[in-house]
Amino acid sequence: MSNQVYALALDNTLREIKNVCPDVTSIFVFEENSKTIAKDDDTPQETINKTVEAFQAIKSKAETSGGLEAVTIQGSEGRVNIASINNFYLATVTSRETDEKFVNSLTRILIPTVVKLVDQIQPAIIRNDEPTMAAELELVEESIQEPMQEPVEYAYQEETVEDSEQPEEEMQAVEETVAEELIESVHEAQDENVEENGLVLPEPPVTQVIVESLGRLQFKSDTVRIDNSIIEQWKDLYGDRIIEEVELDALNGKTIRCKFSPVKDSKYQGKGVIQIPDKIQVAMETSRGKLVMVKPVVE
Amino acid sequence: MAKKKKSMSETVDTVFAEESAPIVEALEEKQVSQDLATCLSKMCERPEVLGFILRDATTATINLKEPEKIVDYALLTSQAMESSQEISQMFNLGDFESTLIEGKNMKTLCFVLDENRVNIFMEKDVDHADILNSVRQ
Repeated sequence: MSNQVYALALDNTLREIKNVCPDVTSIFVFEENSKTIAKDDDTPQETINKTVEAFQAIKSKAETSGGLEAVTIQGSEGRVNIASINNFYLATVTSRETDEKFVNSLTRILIPTVVKLVDQIQPAIIRNDEPTMAAELELVEESIQEPMQEPVEYAYQEETVEDSEQPEEEMQAVEETVAEELIESVHEAQDENVEENGLVLPEPPVTQVIVESLGRLQFKSDTVRIDNSIIEQWKDLYGDRIIEEVELDALNGKTIRCKFSPVKDSKYQGKGVIQIPDKIQVAMETSRGKLVMVKPVVE
Repeated sequence: MAKKKKSMSETVDTVFAEESAPIVEALEEKQVSQDLATCLSKMCERPEVLGFILRDATTATINLKEPEKIVDYALLTSQAMESSQEISQMFNLGDFESTLIEGKNMKTLCFVLDENRVNIFMEKDVDHADILNSVRQ
């Protein structure tokens, strides 16, 4: 199950690496147990199997070195590098003219990033873990946003950077594409899993918000108002699923389920605020300025 | 006529050279191996270089700071050369030049120089390219 998700994500990554570096003639990822996780379209499986076998033979004799981290074979016309990355091994075959530093920087940043993203985006499917904690879910949100925001900064700096820094820009562009494709792949894999195995939707993200009063004259006393950006995130996560209610958790352990609507007052937009009617505040034993956790009720 | 004489002389020379070639080559090889061994021994004086194994067609010269690891090192380098040549052929890398094996604590550089198999063991942070260049010079 986990390999399927990794394979989808890493296949796209390898494709992008080959697009950026045409001098990379062959690239593939395999596991400790020799199983191929992802590969480019041009490398035959038989070649990969033989390479892995040859590599494992070296590895079995490398206990003296304190375990094997990487092997680089240099020929007159090309180079093969097999390096340990996270729990995988990445094999890269390049021509002699290839900028080794560029390829190494690209692969040693991208592959771990993608693996980390997969680990964080799909904890439920990959590890069958218990429901994740709020902090971990916040990390997921950050990790989805980070790679997509960084290239914007680089694009802004593009005019000022010198030619020698072009590989870094290219690398950022690849990261952006890979991150987008990764998210798509993971969503696809997730949809397939739901269809095939009837698995549950992603764990509802828990967001920490600050309580603001909605006033005693509020017409709907059972409805809270939530920052629109939080609602948008839920829509992105659950697509067409209709979310009608939220669950509020106060730090004292009081939990309440109620309806919600977007914050209307522009001064509260994007501030991580929840407007709660006094009646609900009393029931939760919370008040203005205190923190509560909010998560969508997805059924 | 003069041409013919020259031709004969050349032929005679060539035959002579062919007969003596193996002896000359063997002597040259031995000299190269000795020079290489001397060069590698000097390199071993550097604290970050852990030792070397130099193999030619008939003999092996070994200089290790941890002699108890000789079997492990010999097996590793032998396997590395074999696997590297196999991988080189599979991916059409051309003539084999070198293999670098990076472990958690150390790295090993294997290459062929004038039919001598050279294996140098060093600490992980050593610039192996620098070592390779200095040996090849």
